[in-house]
Amino acid sequence: MIIDPVSLEVARNALTAIAEEMSMVVMRAARSPLLREAGDHSSALTDAAGFLIAQGQDVPVHLGVLSFTVREFLAVVRPAEMRPGDVWIVNTPEVGGNHLPDVKLIRPVFSGTTLYAFAISLAHWADIGGAAPGSYYAAAVDAWQEGLRIPPVRLVAGEAIDERVMAFILANVRGPEERRGDILAQIAATTVAARRLAELDRRYGAPFLVEAFEAIHARAERQMRAAIAALPDGVYRGEDFMDDDGHGGPPQPIRVTATIAGDEITFDFSDSADAVPGPINTTPFIAGAAAFYVMKALFGPEIQPSAGCYRPLRIVTRPGSILDGGATAPVVGGNHETCQRVADAIFQAFRPFAVERMSAGGPTTAGLLIFGARRDDGSWSTFYEVHCGGEGARADRDGMAATRVHLANVMNTPAEVIESEYPITVEFQRLRRGSGGRGRHAGGDGVCRGYRVQADGVSLTTMFERAVVPPYGLEGGEDGAPFRVRLERSSGETLALAGKANIVVGAGDLVVAESCGGGGYGRSSD
Amino acid sequence: MGWRLGIDIGGTFTDVIAVAEDGVTRRSGKAPSRPAEPVRAIIDAIAAVSLTWPEVDEIVHGTTIVTNDIVEERFRPAALVATRGFSDTIEIGRGSRRHLYRLDLPPKAEPLIPASGRFEVRERVGPDGRVIEPLTEAEIERVVDEILAAGLDTVAVCLIHAYANPEHEVRLGKRLREAIPFVSLSHEISPEAREFERMSTTALNAMMMARITRHLALIAERRPEASRLHLIHSASGMAAPELIAERPLMLAMSGPAAGVSASRFATDRLGIDHALTFDMGGTTTDVCLIVDGKAEIALNRELGGRRIRLPMVAVDSVGAGGGSIARLSSGALTVGPQSAGASPGPACYGRGGEAATVADADLLLGYLNPGRTLGKAVTLSPEAAEAAIGRLAAEMGFAIPEAAVGIVRVVHANMARALRRATVERGVDIRDFALIAFGGAGPMHAAEVARLCGIGRIVVPEFSSGFSALGCVDARMSFSRQMTVNVRSTAWDQARLDGMVAAQTSELAGALARAGYPPERLATSHVAGIRYSGQSYETPITDPALGDPAALGAQFDAAHRALYGYATGEPWELVNIRTEVAAPGKAAPAGAAHAPSPAEPAAGPLQEGERLVTYETGERHPTPVYARGSLPAGLRIAGPAIIEDEWSTIVVPPGDVLWRENRDDLFIAVRLPA
Repeated sequence: MIIDPVSLEVARNALTAIAEEMSMVVMRAARSPLLREAGDHSSALTDAAGFLIAQGQDVPVHLGVLSFTVREFLAVVRPAEMRPGDVWIVNTPEVGGNHLPDVKLIRPVFSGTTLYAFAISLAHWADIGGAAPGSYYAAAVDAWQEGLRIPPVRLVAGEAIDERVMAFILANVRGPEERRGDILAQIAATTVAARRLAELDRRYGAPFLVEAFEAIHARAERQMRAAIAALPDGVYRGEDFMDDDGHGGPPQPIRVTATIAGDEITFDFSDSADAVPGPINTTPFIAGAAAFYVMKALFGPEIQPSAGCYRPLRIVTRPGSILDGGATAPVVGGNHETCQRVADAIFQAFRPFAVERMSAGGPTTAGLLIFGARRDDGSWSTFYEVHCGGEGARADRDGMAATRVHLANVMNTPAEVIESEYPITVEFQRLRRGSGGRGRHAGGDGVCRGYRVQADGVSLTTMFERAVVPPYGLEGGEDGAPFRVRLERSSGETLALAGKANIVVGAGDLVVAESCGGGGYGRSSD
Repeated sequence: MGWRLGIDIGGTFTDVIAVAEDGVTRRSGKAPSRPAEPVRAIIDAIAAVSLTWPEVDEIVHGTTIVTNDIVEERFRPAALVATRGFSDTIEIGRGSRRHLYRLDLPPKAEPLIPASGRFEVRERVGPDGRVIEPLTEAEIERVVDEILAAGLDTVAVCLIHAYANPEHEVRLGKRLREAIPFVSLSHEISPEAREFERMSTTALNAMMMARITRHLALIAERRPEASRLHLIHSASGMAAPELIAERPLMLAMSGPAAGVSASRFATDRLGIDHALTFDMGGTTTDVCLIVDGKAEIALNRELGGRRIRLPMVAVDSVGAGGGSIARLSSGALTVGPQSAGASPGPACYGRGGEAATVADADLLLGYLNPGRTLGKAVTLSPEAAEAAIGRLAAEMGFAIPEAAVGIVRVVHANMARALRRATVERGVDIRDFALIAFGGAGPMHAAEVARLCGIGRIVVPEFSSGFSALGCVDARMSFSRQMTVNVRSTAWDQARLDGMVAAQTSELAGALARAGYPPERLATSHVAGIRYSGQSYETPITDPALGDPAALGAQFDAAHRALYGYATGEPWELVNIRTEVAAPGKAAPAGAAHAPSPAEPAAGPLQEGERLVTYETGERHPTPVYARGSLPAGLRIAGPAIIEDEWSTIVVPPGDVLWRENRDDLFIAVRLPA
């Protein structure tokens, strides 16, 4: 059977509607603040081999992850072990993952006794245990300090939750009631997907759907091949640097060799730094997500997310490197910090022929601050905040102030919400004027926010980059101002905080985050 | 004397429906819209039903003035006054960008108010309403002087936590209003937490004040003394000009709100609890949910990239309508969101459009009558449609009729996805809903869209092609607002809650009382937003037991279980309360309603002809065409059939059945796959 252009679009709409419905279920019912405020979750359908067909909410970094999770899961769990009514849970980075807080629930979907699809729900939990509330432990030296590691386990069998497995998980995370809410929301999302797929099965038949899956892959592949074919063949090298090794050491290179040959491209990251001691290692899946993002943003915004778009891309990472550190390496920050640097390195590689499509360097860091305060009953209230910054300038316009760029797009938390829920007063939130790099077109300004702590014994975790290696200018434009966080103790002492730190702050202390500006484009005099 | 008019000023046509004093006699008409001369459009509309303004008691109109000014970025320069340290919030926003993969497009809209218009005052109120730093009189005088020196006549004030204690805004506002004509205070416009949303809403409101004040003055110049005028606001009630002058942003969704209002009256009259509105126009299709007889209200929407937090009908727009362009994209046939618009329009309009559109497919498939003239404005050209679709068909390797069927199949799939999304967001089962189809193309495509969604029942209501005007003529006076209350179940403070509810209710009622509605005749209703501590999305509870926390908690648990399948019995928070105060309907109650049964046609259904029509399955059937006005009540017409009136076409595919009940409402029973 060959799927015609009409059936393809009809099927794509129906399948995307299912993934969207999954995302809405998670968004509405989940409990972790990252899910509710920031939408840090994704839903997808894959075919029986684990190749992604449709994604609900388009979070660039998750597309890469979900494209690999079910395939790696299938390398661990044989289909013969799966039954209708199962839901499996997994979060280990080596099983098509990224970091422990991103927990995936996977449901095999059957037509009769034939397994023909999977529904997968990924959600960032506010806590997955480990050494620090919020599960960002800056001093981590191995994977076990980062929290509970869940290899693929059957959590739901025959539509009934295995309460012992549930209890085991909840016993190892902070805020067990909230986490239970997250799990129930994710299960509900996969249940809805199975029900909707059954409706499509009744209407069109599973064989049609399986054909449609392949047609969706083939279309995305055609789109990606067409985008690559338009680029000049050649070998292009680019690099950018992480500020440090995660524990304050020297800057660490992320290097890519991109080889364009006809309608295929290879991204070889082998020359990147060795795995680092601190928690900014990441997985090849994240490198793949970054590569896909750059291709889509520069050359084909219309490319549909599907595993097919990866077919013309080859991602090579070196085992033992910062992008392929193995199961024991700490990774929690690599998910959003190293990931963005991979994209920056690829942009640099494409500069010779794509500079006019690029933006200069921007706030490619989450700029993360996590405040953890003990409630009277001993439980933790955790406030997790990212900071936007100045967009890099482009050939045709200035960068804008105060935005998120590339693989990140999480919103900030309003001051009025922070003050209502946490022992923190926001003293000001201003533009950081003059932080954008000058140039023919200027980079956008970053922001500056002051947090006055109102209680003693509050834990503070930082996880930010672009403090040592600032956002780059292009074509002679100046770099943007680097990211800075300073602590003004109530005692009068002021100190600059490192990009990856765990400290304790007290009542009266002021923490000021100044996010980076964007790079400029072109010389000012041009 | 004695006529009441509903006027809906749309993009292309202005629809008008007039009701005589007896509540029974009705006239309807259309006039071309005049976007640049809204007062002239009103005069033309009155003429279109053969009346003059002195014969009209009351006009209720929907307008797109505010919507268009926002979308087209026509903003009056304004000053913003914020708490010290917070004026840049108007530019920082929530820090996220609009387009994930478009580096070329600016990530956000330009800030509403540039840095030169931002002013700050020293003051601070805490989240509990406690004054941390008082606002001094000297500080007030300083900022008023600075704004006057800047030469600005429009001011938005948004102080941190003003929703919890508005005292500082009240004092500042009093002084500002002595000196400056257009002033909006955030606690009056949107008394809820989240400073950026409140600031953006307040600034937009202020920036529309001068424009609306002028519009109302122009109407007042022409309007006979005894003839009243009201406007349809975004929450689908009507409001007096005095209120609109202070809160012009209430008009942001005025146009779509009128269609939703008409749908709500129709469902009420027909005893339908759950419905989806389906208003398919030229470039978009508007969809809104009606659950338990109430239109869904959204509290926080974007319009033209601007954040607006006011109660508005929860209309979702899909970028697919009659003018949507079909093209082959990497092996898939996609339809919309690009549209041929009104000019050049679909290829079949013969105005130079060359792209294949949904309307071209409708014409080739036999849905649209080739002899139709759309108010004599357009002559349809099947040749042009065939040429346009022929080019696409060749590209696809399809025959022309197959390509046309393909276009409508794709458009139906797009719309089914949008309808499903609307119900999923609300957590309701789409199969329990009836589809209310109206607008030019809604009734043409409703049956197949309904079938895809599992909806078995369609209503094409009377006056379906001028339906929004009907929504205006039947509208009730109402005013609603949502406020943050933040009361926790573990620290319940009944006295504080009662005080806040009473204050909000009396403020809303006051506005209606000033428009001449005695307080004892007003109906007040509340919707409470409740969440478990730790959740961020509130579950809406209608008719909440605000005086009894135990009963309220039970209502919340039940609603949460219904929506999400579980309830945990944990502590919860009453986060916000939306209050609506409404006057009783002006006309006879919609249920008893106007028109008696239309005179029964003498000779049964008048078959006007027969066309060969191709349906979504690809089957072709000779299809009888009936005049809408000729259908006798109760007669069941089995599809295939087409029903036409001057402005719209109803397609009844094979297997479906259409009938008319007492009035001019038509029903379609849709055959669903087993």
